[in-house]
Amino acid sequence: MSRVAVARIRPGASDAARERALLSLRAALPRVGVLEQGVYACDLRGTARLLGVPLVVAARIVSVCARADAACAVGVAPGAFVARVLAERTPLGEARGLATGPREFLAPLPVTTLPLDPRVLEELSLMGIREVGAFAALDAGAVLDRFGRAAAAAHALACGTDDVPVHGVPPVRRIRAGRRFDDAIGSKEQLVFALRMLADQVAQSLAADGLAALRLLLHAERDGAPPLRLERVLLPPTADPTALVRSLRWALDERAEIGAIDAAAIEALEVEPLRGRQLGLFAPDGARIEEAIAVAQHLRGRLGPGAVLRARLHAPDARLPEREADWTEVVA
Amino acid sequence: MGSVATVAALDGAVARIGQRFGSRALTRGASFERRSEERSLRTGTAFDRLAGGIPTGSPCVFVGTGTCGKLALALRAVAAAQREGASVMWVDPSATLDPLAASRAGVDLDRLLVVRARTREDALFAAAAGVRSGGFRLVAVDTGPALLAPFVRADDVAPLIPIVRGSAAALVVVSDEPARRLVLPTFRFERIAWEQELGRTTGWTFAVSAARGEQALFHARSLARQLLDLGVRRELVEASA
Repeated sequence: MSRVAVARIRPGASDAARERALLSLRAALPRVGVLEQGVYACDLRGTARLLGVPLVVAARIVSVCARADAACAVGVAPGAFVARVLAERTPLGEARGLATGPREFLAPLPVTTLPLDPRVLEELSLMGIREVGAFAALDAGAVLDRFGRAAAAAHALACGTDDVPVHGVPPVRRIRAGRRFDDAIGSKEQLVFALRMLADQVAQSLAADGLAALRLLLHAERDGAPPLRLERVLLPPTADPTALVRSLRWALDERAEIGAIDAAAIEALEVEPLRGRQLGLFAPDGARIEEAIAVAQHLRGRLGPGAVLRARLHAPDARLPEREADWTEVVA
Repeated sequence: MGSVATVAALDGAVARIGQRFGSRALTRGASFERRSEERSLRTGTAFDRLAGGIPTGSPCVFVGTGTCGKLALALRAVAAAQREGASVMWVDPSATLDPLAASRAGVDLDRLLVVRARTREDALFAAAAGVRSGGFRLVAVDTGPALLAPFVRADDVAPLIPIVRGSAAALVVVSDEPARRLVLPTFRFERIAWEQELGRTTGWTFAVSAARGEQALFHARSLARQLLDLGVRRELVEASA
């Protein structure tokens, strides 16, 4: 089953053309990775229903790259290695799939096709092994014992078991929630109340993607005044709606007036994976440390240096009290 | 009422959830009231028998003249909150918190956020932020000794009352003077006697009084740096009788 399409841009293409092609591919396909300069792997798993069968997608890749002034050849195969080899043997402007299995396709090709160390290639040559098929016929354990792990990986490729995933960059998704108000909002408390709903929506989107917001933007349209833009950095990054609203509320607290707000939107400008941030599920007290850190950061910004402190004991038995302990800023 | 099989299946499901996610994941209705009592902060001293611990979701005031033990007991409460895994905010406008005394009371200084506010507004803002955030189990506001003419008084915490009532945090105000305009749960600290050895003061005994007249007695020893829990006065009288 074909899962990967590899596009090989024509060798003489300019850097700008290659970059345009890559951007176009990333806009058109969900997961596009870079194998090397001008060689792009597109992971097609799960796209058949939406985009069509792999060969149709491959044809689209050809046309997308052509529009970017970067003619390419596309090979479609179950794995990235075979697809790349196929793309190298496909004329520019065409897309080809495998007519046979990957092992059969690779078998007649020279063994130099495989990513092998020159010394291994020389030894294989001395052994009379010149084609991939002959190398694949060797026992996998014997190849590992004699030539090492890298050769064993190449042997697996020769056998058509190419399960190296495509490290594609996920498509950029705009996480945003907005609302237009029937009556203009003039007070901060009302605006914070309205922002809670928007923050809930943003938090749901973040949680659905397993993300935490690092930078947050509040964009508010005002009646008779330029739009209000408040950008906040959330440290630590969070997907908790309460923390999102709190950060925005603090930003609003620092403004004397907000004007008459007709519409507001919250957008997560920068996100991070939410890995390892689920301490709070059933440990309500221990999990609040992040909240405490956020408060400390806010107070440090509001009260200035020397106000938010932590004590450290140095010499509890020191004769002079000032040598017993010192005070350090919680937030540098 | 479901069948026996249904009840057994429900009990099994509850037990599995308890095993997997912890005993606090589910609460039966009958035990909810008991749980709400468990939310108060237990200092592990006679103060708990006097007042049921330090109430959360409510402010309380420790009032007494200098060197009467109110700070020692407040630090015990801080240590108790930290033992539950929580962080604590100590608003210290007079900058008089002694880290060594806190450490000897069992306070983990790494999880004690000390805010040295320079104005009354900053002190109240910090306390409000701490209570509102949910990041702190206990927020203590030490107004400082009366000798230093503190700019924060017990009466000033009025704006914090609605905030703390909606939170799971406890707010303790440590003050030399009681609130005059506000009616707040107040514990009065009173020094009963000095302890002297070889003509030098080595400690003192103090009592903590709750609103209904009951008293808890403590003895602070400055040389040994200990706070001895003597018990509740009524229990002591009954025991001696």
